[in-house]
Amino acid sequence: MDGFTCNLKTYRLLKGLTQEQLAGMVGVRRETIMRLEKAQYNPSLKLAVDISRAVEAPIESIFVFE
Amino acid sequence: MKRNQKLLAALGCILFTAYAVWDSLTHHAGRLVYPMNSYAFQPSDIPMLLALLLDLLYVFYLVCLFIRVIITQKKQVRTSNRTRRLSPKLGLLGFLGFLGFGGFWSYQALGDLTAFVFFGFFGFFGFFFEGKMSNTLMDERFQENALRAELKAYRAGFAVIFLLLLIAGQASRFKAELLAPALTSGIALAFALTLFLSEYLLYKYDHDDSAALEEE
Repeated sequence: MDGFTCNLKTYRLLKGLTQEQLAGMVGVRRETIMRLEKAQYNPSLKLAVDISRAVEAPIESIFVFE
Repeated sequence: MKRNQKLLAALGCILFTAYAVWDSLTHHAGRLVYPMNSYAFQPSDIPMLLALLLDLLYVFYLVCLFIRVIITQKKQVRTSNRTRRLSPKLGLLGFLGFLGFGGFWSYQALGDLTAFVFFGFFGFFGFFFEGKMSNTLMDERFQENALRAELKAYRAGFAVIFLLLLIAGQASRFKAELLAPALTSGIALAFALTLFLSEYLLYKYDHDDSAALEEE
């Protein structure tokens, strides 16, 4: 996805979570987390906020739009 | 009713109907089996009438069971946010679509178009893909993919109907009697295509994505 960078993997690993665990915490499938980490999926605002709360990092640091 | 009891009930219906038909054919000149212009009750018809009643009750029971399963599944989908549980083997129902070819015979022999509607059953091949995605969590990406797949499927269906209308409009100038079977079978096929594509594309979008990522 052009102009979209996702730093989710970094924050997830910092928090010591697996993709499966994070997926369970925010109510999506592991495949969705995989796609997010590859910056191949643009999440809804709700999912972005949920992820930000789960990994305890600011939303704008996880999802970067140029 | 347990599975064994259901099977026994079905077997009972079949055996009783077979007995009643045999009884009617061998002892009562085939009353109720051969077509009659008018009907007058005779006590000898009782086994056949009872068999018919039993069959009707069994079919009614099956319909109720089917409706109950659908309602339960819908409730389950709503509460768990997962796709309905379905066996991919249900995709075999798609083979019923081949009954549509019987329409060519029935239209010529009886002028009846009903059999063409069976072409619509080809869409049930989609159950194969829906079954493969059975009990999948419907997260936002799944719902997005589902909408994308449905949109493409509807577009394809409408394109087929539009082409069919164009062709039918032209063809009607030459052979107007072919219009009804062509439109009936064409619309049934467009319906089948839409049904099939919406499930197939959803599986493709969802599964190909996952497969590509697993490989990486």
